Amino acid sequence: MSITLAPKRRGSGLGLAMPAILLLLAFFVVPVALLLLRSVTEPEPGLHNYRTLIGSATYAKVFFNTFFVAGVVTLVTVLVAFPVAWALAIMPQRWASVIFAVILLSMWTNLLARTYAWMVLLQQTGLINRSLMALGIIDQPLQLTNNLIGVTIGMVYIMLPFMILPLLGVIRKIDPAILQAAALCGASKGQALFRVLLPLAAPGIASGGLMVFVMSLGYFVTPALLGGTANMMLAEMIAQQVQSLVNWGMGGAAAFILLIVTLGLYAVQLRFFEPKPEVR
Amino acid sequence: MKHIVKAAAIAGAMFASGASAQEMVFTSWGGTTQDAQDKNWAQPFSAATGTSIVMDGPTDYGKIKAMVEAGATTWDVVDVEFDWAIQAGQQGLLEPLDFSVIDKATLDPRFVSDYAVGSFYYSFVLGYNPANFAGDKPSTLADLFDTAKFPGKRTFYKWSAPGVIEAALLADGVTPEELYPLDLDRAFAKLDTIKGDIIWWEGGAQSQQLLASGEAPIGFFWNGRIAALQADGMDVGVSWDQNITAADALVVPKGTKNKDAAMAYIAHATSAEAQAAFATETGYAPINTGSAALMDEAIRATLPDQQTAVQINADMSWWAEHRDEIGNRWYAWQAQ
Repeated sequence: MSITLAPKRRGSGLGLAMPAILLLLAFFVVPVALLLLRSVTEPEPGLHNYRTLIGSATYAKVFFNTFFVAGVVTLVTVLVAFPVAWALAIMPQRWASVIFAVILLSMWTNLLARTYAWMVLLQQTGLINRSLMALGIIDQPLQLTNNLIGVTIGMVYIMLPFMILPLLGVIRKIDPAILQAAALCGASKGQALFRVLLPLAAPGIASGGLMVFVMSLGYFVTPALLGGTANMMLAEMIAQQVQSLVNWGMGGAAAFILLIVTLGLYAVQLRFFEPKPEVR
Repeated sequence: MKHIVKAAAIAGAMFASGASAQEMVFTSWGGTTQDAQDKNWAQPFSAATGTSIVMDGPTDYGKIKAMVEAGATTWDVVDVEFDWAIQAGQQGLLEPLDFSVIDKATLDPRFVSDYAVGSFYYSFVLGYNPANFAGDKPSTLADLFDTAKFPGKRTFYKWSAPGVIEAALLADGVTPEELYPLDLDRAFAKLDTIKGDIIWWEGGAQSQQLLASGEAPIGFFWNGRIAALQADGMDVGVSWDQNITAADALVVPKGTKNKDAAMAYIAHATSAEAQAAFATETGYAPINTGSAALMDEAIRATLPDQQTAVQINADMSWWAEHRDEIGNRWYAWQAQ
């Protein structure tokens, strides 16, 4: 996330953060550690759960699906969110607040309700297919659910606010005069976009993109309802292992691999994309 | 900080004293089924005994195992699938039932084991939306797998459980007598022939939505869900030919602190009256042999226990033994 770092103050503020830290320790760090422990102790001590995971073609496909879907979702989210953020940044403040409220409102609606709404809209007998057929645009209903299309639409919709917010933060700080200057120097619209605007917005794209990608990696409800089993993602596999097969060992191992990948991505982000503290 | 600790201690004490009063937890799968269990089992039980019952859910096998292993069992009675109940009993996750409290003699022996008694039983039946099939209507399990004769998406239960594999084998010509042990290779080969046309349903409400909307005009459903659609006035076709029974079970996770209350509750829930009331509301069959006499004739006619002539019982013991093996293969096959 693009947080502007304030100059360091004396007194570390650790005391104020203590309740949050304790809460996380008790209800997140400890349970996760216990789960990881099970991945190397169940059903018997050793790394066989990891061997099974890595050695099986099915799980390889599930891993691939997970990263592929998360990648597609991130890409589409960036493409949709950027123009929205740009428009929000340059439109009159009153209109921007209204649209902003609409975007936030969607975040406060129950996730399951939103996913079911998409199911109703996208299915073969759904509103979209019926309208297109009534208008004579298509003869046969399009297959929009139980596949990658359904997952992508449903997840992009849910992830949009997480992309728009950091982008907006960055774009608002870009001085419009810079674009005027680019135009004055003879830059075409394309050049102004690709050589001036995008590089300046890159930190926002990177932080929003990473957040969307990481959240997508662990997504469960939307892929399960809008995707077919052929697009099964890791979170769903973990749920199957734990809830249906009561195999905490395998579930824990898969969760651990997901965690390592996520932390690795976060490290990359910290290393390369975190904006330098502003000099005031 | 001190204040917070003190407040937490007080809250903890209040909670503990609340729990020591007669109170127990019943966990089931949620939705209309659990509502019916609450109304027809739990509330009358509370009124009669003074033991209040807290509803929790949904049932989660991972959670049960974690509770038992941690020695912190907070679910006293749980509604589970029968094959899991048998397996869990063998794995030591359950309390043996007290048959001095639960009257075994009145229960359908198909659904009684040392660690579990039936909660209700149901059939997987072929259901279809007649609007989508103008000519011949599907009537056999072979029709369910015949996409040439009956085109369109078909919907099946997503989770690894008794039912769909049996249906695939029966559709492929295996006779009921030679169904077990299940020939998994043959079953998956049969399922492969329609894999691209399958939409999986995860829960009863979704199965109804798929059928009613015509998204999947044909499929394999819990009979109670079809009955509910018909009760709502929807035109739904159903074929009981080779309906496959499976059952839910009531179990008591090991280490419960309310064992006596749990046994008394199960005894009540499986009584002829409670089972009849639940069956009337849900369309699932009672497992108490005395219930039928207490029920309305017209409703009785819609229940799976009227279809025994064309019925096949899923072999719960066989499933309990092979549950993990089938499950792993099932999910791997789905993901391929």
